[in-house]
Amino acid sequence: MSADGRTPDETPDESPEAHPVTGLDDVVHQRVRLGILTITHEARRVEFGYLRTQLALTAGNLSQHLGVLETAGLVEVEKGYAGKRGRTWITLTPAGHTALAEEIGRLKLLIARVETTKPTEDR
Amino acid sequence: MTTDSVPGGDDPRRLLSEVETLARRVRLDQRVTPVALLVLAVVTLLAIPGDWWSLYLDCGSESKWIPGPVPNSLSCEVTGRGLVYYWPVALLLAYTVIALYAVRTARARGVGTRVMPYVITGAATTVLITVVWLVVRHYLQTHPVPTEPFPEWVMFLDRLVGPAGAIGVGLLVLARLERNLALLVFTVGYLVIVLVPVTVGWTPAWGPHSIYGQWLPRSIINGTVLLLGALGFWLARRRQR
Repeated sequence: MSADGRTPDETPDESPEAHPVTGLDDVVHQRVRLGILTITHEARRVEFGYLRTQLALTAGNLSQHLGVLETAGLVEVEKGYAGKRGRTWITLTPAGHTALAEEIGRLKLLIARVETTKPTEDR
Repeated sequence: MTTDSVPGGDDPRRLLSEVETLARRVRLDQRVTPVALLVLAVVTLLAIPGDWWSLYLDCGSESKWIPGPVPNSLSCEVTGRGLVYYWPVALLLAYTVIALYAVRTARARGVGTRVMPYVITGAATTVLITVVWLVVRHYLQTHPVPTEPFPEWVMFLDRLVGPAGAIGVGLLVLARLERNLALLVFTVGYLVIVLVPVTVGWTPAWGPHSIYGQWLPRSIINGTVLLLGALGFWLARRRQR
């Protein structure tokens, strides 16, 4: 496992000739986790309950995804209190910002590739 | 299993579209446009009695007289001291209220806030317009009284570095931070109204000299535009929810 918590199999292929699909990072590419990263990026700091509502997830399900992202060093989870209520705040790490930007870039590249591929090449 | 990756056949277009939708929703939850416009409208409308109270008018001493635009007429020395007594305090208070509201609302909704650069810009422009006013005032006091009306570009700059212009510049920053195209369009319209001299053909005789009334229509127009903007953005937000 690497320093960011990923196994060698999970590390995306960064070679320039590689197809965008091979560069997709499984940790980030997963739909819910991509949603978490997007919301946290836009919100700068987001509360657990807000993520749960926006992504329509159960608390357990969201915790599991946050665990994966935290292990990979993409988010930081901070627990605190607002009055008597316990609150959990999530922020994106610099690695998280980079990972999200790269994922969005790869998705756009993938779409561009699909759009420029002629139908005859698919046969 | 909950942590499965997206199936291979998942459409990247759909993923990107979902990402954009989520980002848009967060931005909507972070916006404080109606409250910011409402607070600024209140400050602008409250300036009417504030400006009236702080206007300094001297038509008594002949040395202060300058030729008026109409032949054989004389103008008086008029100083709007509201720029020192009212606007700095009112605007700084307004930006503090907006910042507190933004932080409190964002915390209650469970997201971070974006308005801090706007509040800092607003406070900085407030300090800037006050300093500009003091410098211009000092210049006019230490130099001969101008005998000709100021050129149009000077009057344009005067309106830009006035309180209403500074409010507009701040709103441009807010539109950028909130990525709010509607607010950008609104602010451009507001700035046009502020910077282009609009004469409504109504100068109320307010106070001992009608000069007091020359400020009134513009203040009412600026305040009403901000108030209507606040109402419009509030209604639009309700509809979006």
